Amino acid sequence: MNQPLIAVQGLSKRFDVSRSMADVLTGRHPQLQAVSDVDFTLQRGETLGIVGESGCGKTTLGRMLIKLIPASEGTVLFDGQDIAAMDRTQELAFRRRAQLVFQNPFDALNPHFTILRSLREPLHNARVPFEEHAGRIAEAMKMVHLPAPDHFLQSFPHQLSGGQLQRVVLARALVLRPEFIVADEPVSMLDVSVRAGILNVLREVRDRMGLAAVFISHDLALVRYVCARTITMYLGAVVEDGPTRDIVENPLHPYTKALVQAVPIPRVDQSHAPLPITGGLPDALNPPSGCRFRDRCPVAEARCATEVPRLRDVGGARRVACHFV
Amino acid sequence: MLLEVRDLVIDYRATRGRVRAVDGVSFDVPAGAVVGVVGESGCGKTTAVRAITRVMPSSAVFAAGSISLDGVDLVGLSEREMKKHLWRDIAYVPQSAMNALDPVWRVGKQIEEVLVDRGGMNRKAARARAEDLFAMVGLEAKRLGDFPHQFSGGMRQRASIALALALSPKLIIADEPVTALDVVIQRQVLDTFADLQKQLGLSVILVTHDISVVAYVCDYVVVMYAGKVVESGPVADVLDTPGHPYTMGLYNAFPELAGEERELSPIEGSPPDLLDPPKGCRFRARCPFAIAVCTLDPPEHIIGTGHVAYCHRASEAQDLRETAKRTETWVGVTSE
Repeated sequence: MNQPLIAVQGLSKRFDVSRSMADVLTGRHPQLQAVSDVDFTLQRGETLGIVGESGCGKTTLGRMLIKLIPASEGTVLFDGQDIAAMDRTQELAFRRRAQLVFQNPFDALNPHFTILRSLREPLHNARVPFEEHAGRIAEAMKMVHLPAPDHFLQSFPHQLSGGQLQRVVLARALVLRPEFIVADEPVSMLDVSVRAGILNVLREVRDRMGLAAVFISHDLALVRYVCARTITMYLGAVVEDGPTRDIVENPLHPYTKALVQAVPIPRVDQSHAPLPITGGLPDALNPPSGCRFRDRCPVAEARCATEVPRLRDVGGARRVACHFV
Repeated sequence: MLLEVRDLVIDYRATRGRVRAVDGVSFDVPAGAVVGVVGESGCGKTTAVRAITRVMPSSAVFAAGSISLDGVDLVGLSEREMKKHLWRDIAYVPQSAMNALDPVWRVGKQIEEVLVDRGGMNRKAARARAEDLFAMVGLEAKRLGDFPHQFSGGMRQRASIALALALSPKLIIADEPVTALDVVIQRQVLDTFADLQKQLGLSVILVTHDISVVAYVCDYVVVMYAGKVVESGPVADVLDTPGHPYTMGLYNAFPELAGEERELSPIEGSPPDLLDPPKGCRFRARCPFAIAVCTLDPPEHIIGTGHVAYCHRASEAQDLRETAKRTETWVGVTSE
């Protein structure tokens, strides 16, 4: 049996939010459900895109996958092992095998560290013998197409361009030869002309190292370029899951349909038809009953207010959470 | 022509000398048209359009150029005379909607303040106008009493558009109006904006780094690189038959959702240091088609009606476009 690298079961995250005086007096502890009941598996070498609007829980989900924040409920199995129940040695090994690529390269590196020191730090933390450092760093720099001469490694973050910095951030994640990376909006801070370079590096890394990767973005066009499979999230829940190609060509959930239609294209002859949905994300503290998307949904009926749609298999390796699919 | 900008030169005083952020930029905005100004961060697009409003940081120096709005030379005006034109003739929607709105004032009050102070309305009329403006941009009148932090990103952007429309200006300058928004909200705000523009016959300058936004709402486009205009013209012409290699490169670097997936090619390297810009074409270090003559200033080459490109090889544009479509063309161009 082929064991998936990541198996997520019933994963939820609630955050405490600040209490108003009325909450204190009535003894209430309001909580925000950032992620609710997410299930999926990720095979070795598979790339999964997570798309959705800001506030849909995609970043929180990504952080739970690599144990940056604990889950409120549910489990994440990494290579069959529950990441919440690891002992110190197991955790150290896990931290070597799973890495995060941060969104903002301008913040992700310590401004007082040289590039060399930033790249060496994860090796040091993972107890990689010192003799191997230079080789590992050269290997990672080559993978992200950065020159590795001494003067480059001795420079500081402020001396590099945004594109170079993001490559360094990526190299720092790859230097431990991980099996799994989570990249959270890795190109959103970069100019279009350098974005393509980072996306191409991500594709190469995926193909050459056989990495499993989760790529978080609000832009389906970027996700399509890097990921074979995509999950759409809405207000903390997965509403659609399937091969990216099928999702882009034939989205099934009404929310995914709107997302696909909303992505602008660089051509003049494009549809200006109004989007099928209106309004913005509802208040996450008071989500609508039943289907969370129903107040923006063009096909909602009475049933949607009472019955929460389950994420069901609809064939073709696709899952959709909608009563009408 | 509603707005004519000619040979605009703007410097910034820096510790190491003067940075020429905008170097001889010219463009026109016809009445009732939407003109996109597109380019990467640091290309001078924001500086160029802010110079029109004269709202600039204190380190900025207006070095040369002329700006004429409806035949009035804005450069020659005194501060006081210029003030009369702001809000009434030209309104500016800054980059982040959070900057347009004062966090400690209710949104409705801020709109009323402009109507009273600049428009000479009484409070009651101002209130009614504020309600109309909110309705125009698709916000409920009851939200006028809210503070900016109570609004979502999309609502703040709608409110700052309402603020800009307050005194029915002829020209609206919107700087990256939808950049920080999610795709769905972005599309909704752009649709509202485009509807209002048509309804009111507004002229708009839209600054953005996103060519798909330009394709969606603009009539004309001005492509800037390192402080200079490299290409300009009607949107359909510039996007379909680009004459400058930079424009070709931008298109190839942009992932799109429609149609078959295509390989993306980055433009390698980074823009030149504007403290010491290279002679001749500023794009040549990153250009796969650069030849010896590119060390001289690029000439204006007319490609079609209103469509110009500043490139020595613009006459070969048709062949260059074919070559530019291949990914390998863009690999290993710079020595960086």
